Amino acid sequence: MMDTLNSREDVDVTLGALFLEFPKIGLCGIGSMLVWTRRVIVDERHWMSEAEFAETLSLGQFLPGPEIANISIYVGSKFRGPIGAIIALLGLTAAPLAVGLVLGTLYLRYPHPAVIQKVLGGISAAAAGLLIATGIKMLMPHRRRPAALFFAALAFAGIILAKLPLLTVLVGLVPLSIAVAGVMSPKAE
Amino acid sequence: MSSPPAPVAFVAQLALLSLISFGGIPSILPGIHNLVVVTKGWATDREFADFYAIAQAMPGLPMILMMSLIGWKVGGLTGALASAVATCGPSSAVAFVAFRLSHRFRDASWQRIVRRGLVPVTVGIVIASGYVLARAADNGWQAAAITGAAAGLILGTRISPLWILVTAGAIGGLGLI
Repeated sequence: MMDTLNSREDVDVTLGALFLEFPKIGLCGIGSMLVWTRRVIVDERHWMSEAEFAETLSLGQFLPGPEIANISIYVGSKFRGPIGAIIALLGLTAAPLAVGLVLGTLYLRYPHPAVIQKVLGGISAAAAGLLIATGIKMLMPHRRRPAALFFAALAFAGIILAKLPLLTVLVGLVPLSIAVAGVMSPKAE
Repeated sequence: MSSPPAPVAFVAQLALLSLISFGGIPSILPGIHNLVVVTKGWATDREFADFYAIAQAMPGLPMILMMSLIGWKVGGLTGALASAVATCGPSSAVAFVAFRLSHRFRDASWQRIVRRGLVPVTVGIVIASGYVLARAADNGWQAAAITGAAAGLILGTRISPLWILVTAGAIGGLGLI
């Protein structure tokens, strides 16, 4: 299996590395945290394979709470147990929260120049592109499975065309998708 | 009738909702809105929308910041910090236990099948989120071009996303969108 071959269970990830990398993800993640989370964990640090990352995100999406917080808990606990999970979660959330509270309350309290709105407009247009690209990258390990492409397209259509809520799409499609994955055994693929 | 002070009531409610926020915090936003704006009147609709917009524009997890801003409004700095903990604390405990359990059965064949089924749906949702974000940011072909260029650069080169965001912000600031 690709996801077990590529994952680096043997990599030595220190608490210090968790403490350094997660604030970076938190502070860089404007528009979408997912882009930076995948980049640091998969591309830069190789803490997870592309496939393992996608699987962790799926689980994180299903569980309660913010999905990126759930990924940080997974990474922290995978390498360093409960302490690692706490360090990763605190690293991810503390610094950006401080920045956000200070800037947010300033923004609410004082008048702000219109140029800020324009800068934010540019950033969010690019952030949208980064998010789409991240989704495409996560699909790459599954590109030869027609069923995977089909269900990805169906989930996209459910949200964009049918305008269904996220939870409805998850609850409606996931059992079907799992059933199809079960029928098409790994040997056949 | 004695009821708990507003910050305590908000934080307690938030911690409960966090436990059932399957699919992410946005799934409990209607419940939060109902409590904060409709039932208790701790914030106006306009303030609620402002908190949301600010949270989206700042670094970090938007929903944690949004709940902290509401907590700030309800109970100052202490309210803000308690709200942040209540937003992701209870759900994180659930996630930790769930990951531990799933790791124990990681190599079971049924789990591989479950993961194979989950991933495509997740990816479809991620791409849809990008599309929604692009539509929300859309101000015509210029914005669409930036979205397309950003996606292309990430897929085709190893350039850092930070440069893409900074450049796009500058283009926006110069009024070119």
